Amino acid sequence: MIEFTLNGKTVQTDEDPNTPLLWVVRDTFKLKGAKFGCGAGLCGACTMHIDGVASRTCIMPVAAVAGKSITTIEGLGSPENLHPVQAAWVEHSVPQCGYCQSGQIMSAAALLASNPNPTEADVDAAMSGNICRCGCYPQIKAAVMSAAGSLAYNAMKDDARDAEVQA
Amino acid sequence: MNSMNMSRRRFLQASGIVGGGLVIGFSLTGCSTPKLPVENVAGSFLPNAFIQITPDNVIRFYCPRDEMGQGVTTGLGTLVGEELDVDPRHLDIAFAGPHEAYNNPDIGMQITGGSTSIHAHYTPLRQAAANTRRVLLDAAARDLGVARSSLTTEDGHIVSGGERHPYGKFVATAAKLEVPEDAPMKKATEFRYIGKDRGRLDAVAKSTGTAVYGIDIDVPGMHYAVVRRSPVAGARLKSVDKSAAASMPGVTDVVEISSGVAVVAEKYWQAKTAAARLEPRWEEVPLDKVDTATVKKDYRAAMTGDEGLTKDERGDIEAALSSASESIDNEYWAPYLAHAPMEPMSAVINIKDGQAELWAGTQGPAAAQGLVSRFADIAPENVKVHNTYLGGGFGRRATLTHVIEITQIAKATNKPIHLLWSREDDIRNGVYRPASLMRIKAGIDDKGVVSAWQAKRVGGNITPETLKNMMPGLFPGLGNGTINFMVGISNDLYKGWIVDGSSVEGLGEDYDFPNMQVNHATVEHGVPLTFWRSVGHSFTAFAKESMMDELAEKAGQDPIAFRLANTKDNPKLNNVIRVAGEHMKKMTPRPGRFLGFAAHSSFKTSVAEIAEISVDNGQINVHKVTCVVDCGLAINPDIVKTQMSSAIMFGLTAALYGELDLENGAIKQGNFNDYPMLRMNAAPQVDVVIIDSKEHPTGVGEPGLPPIAPAVANAVYAATGQRLRSLPLKLEA
Repeated sequence: MIEFTLNGKTVQTDEDPNTPLLWVVRDTFKLKGAKFGCGAGLCGACTMHIDGVASRTCIMPVAAVAGKSITTIEGLGSPENLHPVQAAWVEHSVPQCGYCQSGQIMSAAALLASNPNPTEADVDAAMSGNICRCGCYPQIKAAVMSAAGSLAYNAMKDDARDAEVQA
Repeated sequence: MNSMNMSRRRFLQASGIVGGGLVIGFSLTGCSTPKLPVENVAGSFLPNAFIQITPDNVIRFYCPRDEMGQGVTTGLGTLVGEELDVDPRHLDIAFAGPHEAYNNPDIGMQITGGSTSIHAHYTPLRQAAANTRRVLLDAAARDLGVARSSLTTEDGHIVSGGERHPYGKFVATAAKLEVPEDAPMKKATEFRYIGKDRGRLDAVAKSTGTAVYGIDIDVPGMHYAVVRRSPVAGARLKSVDKSAAASMPGVTDVVEISSGVAVVAEKYWQAKTAAARLEPRWEEVPLDKVDTATVKKDYRAAMTGDEGLTKDERGDIEAALSSASESIDNEYWAPYLAHAPMEPMSAVINIKDGQAELWAGTQGPAAAQGLVSRFADIAPENVKVHNTYLGGGFGRRATLTHVIEITQIAKATNKPIHLLWSREDDIRNGVYRPASLMRIKAGIDDKGVVSAWQAKRVGGNITPETLKNMMPGLFPGLGNGTINFMVGISNDLYKGWIVDGSSVEGLGEDYDFPNMQVNHATVEHGVPLTFWRSVGHSFTAFAKESMMDELAEKAGQDPIAFRLANTKDNPKLNNVIRVAGEHMKKMTPRPGRFLGFAAHSSFKTSVAEIAEISVDNGQINVHKVTCVVDCGLAINPDIVKTQMSSAIMFGLTAALYGELDLENGAIKQGNFNDYPMLRMNAAPQVDVVIIDSKEHPTGVGEPGLPPIAPAVANAVYAATGQRLRSLPLKLEA
């Protein structure tokens, strides 16, 4: 039995420990936001946060995340409660086919959590692991820069910092 | 707050349907035509196939075209919202099921592609919405006991005196009235939504992981299937030891299907792991002996030989060529390409008690229905097809071999099935953009005008392949023998009698060319072919615009002036070139940066592009692309711009990296390590200028693609003095 935290909730699975986390999250826990694009860690469509780090889950055996904390796009925000990165995505009307966008957003959110004021080069470096076949790159970059600048994002960071201090 | 999701929940509650299943049960005419695949909601008003209004004022739009990122649900939703007087954000948009009422008016079938959706539906959909608004006004006038002239409408409401009444209040009366056919539509000056920059209606769903794609569907009892297919297209299974997979954990079935052998298991990972253990053997086919070098050799032989057909000609090409002041003779090469949409092919099917239900993102839901009908031997009216968002189409999702596969697997195993192709399956077992060898002989007269243009293309044709893939679905009752016969005839037709337009489109249409000839010779090796974003234009524009650049230099003219002089008969393209030229004149690229220009018309839209590049250690870096487009009236300028940018990025991937190699008939590449895609760090800045036009809107999904490869190649010449005449663009050391 492998136990880990999924979007804040402790879960267990008896799936084959070699099963990539992507398939456990999608098919066992029915969270379909993360997508399958290549199965080789090359395209980023499967990106989730593992202990806050953007990770390619199509090549991550579920055994390797025992005891860790996983956040998916569903844990980041929802249509009723958009994360500031998601709000920026909507404001800039970023998605086209949309299939890569969960992965893009997870990579962007991880970048901004550790680097709240990225340069364009920082964004390139953090996001170039995520392929967008529809070519939304200019809109994605604009949304990331705008999310970085947004007040809501800064406020959220402050809250998180306060919570950390109190803990 | 995404009102699309909210109103869908209300809609389902109103109809008493739990779980999202659709019920077929509403017939427009009551005669023997198939019933419309719309939701059966008590008391709702269905004035046409596209619009349904419930007593609770949920206003549903059955979108007839498939959303693959091109923004069609937003674009067509905007047309409906405009004439119906409903904010498009307040529409509940559903994907239409299979029915001839949802045929593409430009194509005559239920297919999304060819950059036709807005062009085809602009008038009929607005008319349907205007008719609906008119009958609602009539109904409201009756119910409220006032003159219709005293009423107005506002965002899904009738306004009478100071009071707002939801449309839904009047649907019972509306359903009894005759729906007019020609209610007046708005004048362009009255447009509230058309022509405005408005956010995409699917942005929230696609930014929260809540948009549903074919791969996301779950049905109870669903098993997962992975298929092993021949590395060489068309080779049938000779033998396989099924026990290697059958004994693996979770595996329930190992079945032979027409494309290979399928492993079915309780979990995807179990099916994938087990399938990898099979060692199938395949029959020999002629394609086994074909490498990329074979293709090039055979194309060359046909190029220099006499065979071929003429597609277009005017004037006296031979005389014009021999009397030209200057002439150039060049060959150009474009390789086989895969589409590589981010979502590999997938589908879910449930066949039970003589009924079938299929979920898949497709560019042709009617063809999907036909294929399930044919291969499950179930009448089409008992086959439900649910279209989903497509994780990329680009032409790939009009070929539905995965629907055939899943139907055969479900029939053989008697289980609900989820079929998923891997990325390797997608790149190696798919359908491809044809490879092309092109030759252009052109001459200029003493005034520097192109007086002679003779172009010949050698390669395979997509139309017979398209027929082979589409006919079984479109005509489920037609026997295999008949279909093969008809496909065979079309093959012969295109080889010996007429030219497949898709093979040469773009080579000769744009410029004045008083003496012109476009020729074609078919050479095929058995690689499956299909539409790929911008089709023939994706390779012809490269040859044509590279040659025009060389001719301009020979004529001693700048690329803009030269093209302007040769488009006197093409005012739309001439204007786009002129405007782009004005932008280009103002550009002052810094040292080490160089500009290249190209212009091309496709799908009724004219586009010019200026690429700004640098070359660094043999690597081509594209920093910025300026794009000028005339697509008639821009329904949503922001979407026009993002579609131009999208096509440019797609074309740039092809221009810089795109190449599939054949080795012993098999495609060598398999994933994004050896079939690279443009990534953010290599993506240029894109600026789009939309020509202000009130003309009937034309396509924007594809036209941005053809000019990018030649624009970059022409910039590379400016930077290095090297003329690159092969794709992908590779500099010599």
